[in-house]
This record gives sequence, C-alpha cells and structure tokens, in this order.
Amino acid sequence: MSAVPLRVLVVDDEPPIRKLLRLGLTAQGYHVLEAPNGKAALDLLDQSPNLIILDLGLPDMQGHDLLKTIRSRNDNVPIVILSSRDDEAGKVQALDCGADDYVTKPFGMDELLARMRAALRHQLQAHGERPLFRVGELSVDLVRRIVKIGDREVKLSPKEYELLRVLVQHAGKVLTHRFLLHALWDDLTDAQYLRVYVRQLRQKIEAEPEQPKYILTETGIGYRLRTPD
Amino acid sequence: MSALAYNFFFLPPIYTLTIGDPANVVAFGFFTLVAIIVSGVAARGRTLGLAAMERARTTESLYAFSRKLAGTATLDDVLWASAYQTALMLKVRVVLLLPEGGGIAVKAGYPPEDILDSADLAAANWTWQNDRVAGRGSDTLPGAKRLFLPLHTGRGAVGVMGIDSDKPGPLLTPDQRRLLDALCDQGALAIERVKLVEEMGRVERIADTERLRSALLTSISHDLKTPLAGVLGAAATLRDYSDKLSAAEKAELLATIIDESERLNRFIANLLDMTKLESGAIAPKVALHDLGEIVGSVLVRTGRILSRHHIELELAPDLPMLELDAVLFEQALFNLLDNAAKYAPPETTVRIQAWRDTASVCLRVLDEGDGIPAQDLEHIFDKFYRAQKTDQVRAGTGLGLAISRGFVEAMHGTIVATNRTDRSGAAFTIRLPVPRQNHQLDAAA
Repeated sequence: MSAVPLRVLVVDDEPPIRKLLRLGLTAQGYHVLEAPNGKAALDLLDQSPNLIILDLGLPDMQGHDLLKTIRSRNDNVPIVILSSRDDEAGKVQALDCGADDYVTKPFGMDELLARMRAALRHQLQAHGERPLFRVGELSVDLVRRIVKIGDREVKLSPKEYELLRVLVQHAGKVLTHRFLLHALWDDLTDAQYLRVYVRQLRQKIEAEPEQPKYILTETGIGYRLRTPD
Repeated sequence: MSALAYNFFFLPPIYTLTIGDPANVVAFGFFTLVAIIVSGVAARGRTLGLAAMERARTTESLYAFSRKLAGTATLDDVLWASAYQTALMLKVRVVLLLPEGGGIAVKAGYPPEDILDSADLAAANWTWQNDRVAGRGSDTLPGAKRLFLPLHTGRGAVGVMGIDSDKPGPLLTPDQRRLLDALCDQGALAIERVKLVEEMGRVERIADTERLRSALLTSISHDLKTPLAGVLGAAATLRDYSDKLSAAEKAELLATIIDESERLNRFIANLLDMTKLESGAIAPKVALHDLGEIVGSVLVRTGRILSRHHIELELAPDLPMLELDAVLFEQALFNLLDNAAKYAPPETTVRIQAWRDTASVCLRVLDEGDGIPAQDLEHIFDKFYRAQKTDQVRAGTGLGLAISRGFVEAMHGTIVATNRTDRSGAAFTIRLPVPRQNHQLDAAA
C-alpha cells in the first residue's frame, strides 16, 4: 500500500456492516469514510474518495438514484455495490448505471478486497493498457493479437478474439451481457449469441470448458475474466 | 261429419241431405251416436296420450337436470343451471337468492337479473325467514312482482327462488306448480351438496395448513437454531477463553463460525426461494443457455460443500442449447448437489451426466449414498419431507428438493428420483425439452 492511504467511502445503513468494513479495510491500510445514508454519502463526495462501497438498500433514497447522482458528479471513482442474493436484475441495473462491480451479502472480506483491487486497477489502467496480459497459462498480446496457452498459439476467429480482448481490457471486473453485446455487436441484444461465442472461446482456451479457469460465469449477470492475483 | 257424409252418399235419395226411408232414419241415428261416442273416446285418448308424453318429457328433463346438477362442482354453476332449467321448463323469469351477511341476496338469475325492488326484497326476506311461499298470487305480500318459494332440504333452508312472467293471471297451473316444487327440491339438494363439499375442502385445507405450519415451525426452529447455537457458542468461547485456547483450537472455532453461518445462509435462501414459489412470484426469464456452462458455475458454488467428494462430469459433447432461466436452473441443480453432499459419505463420487434423448435433454446427478427408501421415493420432493433415517438426523431442511422441483417445473421440465441399479445410491434426473429452432443458432455460431 502506498504512503498516502486510499480513501474508501462506505455507504451502508447497517452499523454492524459499517463496523465490519471499517475494521477489515483499516487492517488492509485503507482510510475509511462512513455514510449511513445517501445524503451523508453525497456530502462526503467532497473529500474525493478513491473508491465507494455502496449498499443499494438505503433508507433515504433509491440506491440506483444515488448511484446515478454520484456518477453525474464523479464519473471516474470506482464503485462496488453491496447487494442481496436474489436481485440479479438490480445488480445488472446497477452495473449498467455505472457501478464497477458487486459483492453479494453475506460476503467474505477477501472477496470484497479482490473486487476493490480489480476496480482500482482498472481505473489506473484506463489510460494506458498493458500490451501483454497473463493469467495462469493464458497470455494475450494485445499489440500483436496473439493468444497463447503456455507456448501453444491458439487460433481464434475475429469475433472470438474481440470477445477476449474486451474481457482482457476489463480483467477482474464483471461485464454484463448487455455491455459485452454492445461492445461486440453494437445492436444485437440477444445474450444467447454471446453464450455461443463464450462456449467456443472456452473450448479453445480452457482445459476443461465445463469448469472454466479463465472466463468465469456470473449467472444471470455476465462474465468475468480471472486476474493474475 | 261422417254421419252427414253417410246420409249424402249412401242413403236414398242419394246426393241429398234428406232421408227418404224411415228405417234409414234409425240406422242414421244409430250411426251418428256411434260416431259421436267413438270420436269422443279417440279425442280423450289423444289428450291422454299427449299428457303422458308431456309428463314423460318433463320427467326426462327433470332427470337430465338432476344428472347435470350432480356433475356440477361449483356453486355458481349449480345456481345458474337451476335458474336456467326452471325458466326453460316453466317459461318464467327466475332469480335465486342465497343467505349473505345476515340477510339474503340475489346470486343468480335467468335471464340474468340482480336487482329486486323493495317489495320483492321484503317478500323474499319473509320467505327466507318463515320458510314459506310469499309474493305474487300468495297470501303474504301479494303486491310483490314475483312469487318467492323457499329452497329447503331435510337439513333446513338453503335459499329462496323468485319467479315471475309477463303473462297476466295466475303464474302457474297446478301441474306447473308441482313441477316447480320438484325443481326447487333438486336445486336445494344440489346447493346443499356443493356447500358441504366446499366446507369439507375448507376444513381439509385448514388441517393441511396446520400440519404444514407445525412442520415449518419444527424445521425452522431446528434449522435456524442449530447453526446459530454453533456460531454463538464458538464466538463466546473465543471471547471468554481466548488466552486458554491453542492456535489450532481457535482456528477450529473460527471454522465452525464460518461453516455454520454459511449453512444458515443456505437455509434462509431456501426459505426465500420457497416463499417465492408459494406466492407464485417465480417468473422464469428463459433464454437459450449452454447446460455445461451452468453446470460449471454450480460446481464453483458447491466447491466448499462438496470439497470432500469426488466430482465426475459426463456431459455429452453435442448437447443443444436449452431454454432456461440460468439463475433458477443453477439453484435447482445446486440443491441436488447439496442433497448429495448431505446423504453420500465423504470420499465417494458424485457423478453428473447429461445426454440428449430425442426431443429432450436429461441431466442426472448420481451419488453413492444409501439411496432413498422405497416408501420415500414419491414423497422426496414434498415440502419439509425428509427421508426416514434411523441412524441420525441429517442437516437438511426438507426444502431443497421441493425447490428444485418447483424451479424445474417452472421451466417446463420434470424431475424424478430413483435409486441406482448398478450400486447403492440415489439418482435425480432432470428432463428438459429441446427448443425447436435450436439448429439456427448453432449454425450461426
């Protein structure tokens, strides 16, 4: 962790959750700002947090409205959503509204930290992509457009490569079906085409396509490419 | 007529209506008498025949009516059939009134009618309270537009029938009145029967609800309290005896807290799923999915609970994409694997097979536990049902399989439980239809 601790704004109306996050994040070297409601969260935006952890169920305003308001005032800060298990539609909506990722309650601290790191890394990388991406056996050379498993080069169709490139650019982050469809086909809205290409891509880069190590399924939401850590 | 013709044609002088021979006068007189008698008898015979036919028709109609009523299950249908039949057979307008909120109210009519003026309502009420006829043409409240008759059975009054017609004078002939009584009796019996059935159904439902409620309470108190007790105990021990515990003991207590909390979490998730199923809030969002992909993400989720079992995947390579709600299907499969983790001992193999079978795809989960006792096979998917175990109570909720079935059926699939034939162990098979326009998509890829 750098000398100046990163500021994390925690927005949640439940005191035990805020306490848990304060203890866990402080132990990891983060500086924690706490807001029990939407109004307090907007006030604390002035302290320019480096990352926001946002619970969608707040007492004073709709989580999605708060999310949009935050995005309208700061389109750069990574936002990780805390959500309940059964709310796939709410998660997708939050992601499409500009959230970077989500963690489902009840969550493990390690899972939250991984999501935070991926979101922060993506923010830092946004200006300069690393030309070579590596995770496990998989390596993707974005300049020379070469994909390898170990030393073996993998032949991908243009669409398959495009899909992998988008995943690499956002490695570690969950990407919604809609985001991927828009990035790859522009207008096509049926997620089944995406699933067909994901299946093909997995057959080429995964040792066991049914138990993927690289392209992870977020059921009902989208896909996530595993990151090196 | 025939006597005059006889005279005209046969009695001299022929072709006149006069009679010449006095002997013929006697013959003519006799003939006339006979003709009159015969024609009278014939006319009466015909009248009697017509009446008999009419009675036969009436009896037949009544019989058909009673059969129709016997096959009618709902009160509305019984009321409508009674009103319709009465209106048809007596050529009158009919209303039927049943008790409601202390008084009586119109429940059916033919032709449909639901408004009574105050005079009619008063007559109907009087009939209901006194169990006697009132209204038009009767001794009581004759000013009413309709005639009201009580509908009663041996067990008491069930309602009131009101009739009227545009025909002036008496509403009914004595025959029609007897027919009306028969119709009223039939209608009253049918109304009573339907009400008794409804009452029995209600009592049964209450009993069912009670049974379910007590099963629910037992299940919840056990399944919520057991893990909670583990969490509380472990946490309190860590707080109070921290200095006396070894590092390994502390780690064990922490693992207990996490494991038991996860169990609690799964149970609460099940309760939520079941509540959604029960309230009809499940609306599957189906789209074409790759079965292998869903199996893969389930295996990620079951990683911890199946960490001590071996997993073997046997998915046919050419499986078509299926119309599924991925979230629901994942949960249905998760519950099957959770069940296998509970009932099959550690270090055994859990096998997941999928294959195409003409117009459907089958997904089967096989474990190497003791299998399912024969008497439990058909109840295994019932809510709060747990297979009878003599040795110990497993950490199950009796909800998981019921949810699996609910979700699979919501996606137009089926699920069955059997025992393995090759060895001991249970086999759960989900069967899903292959969507029709599937090849298009595979070709597009």
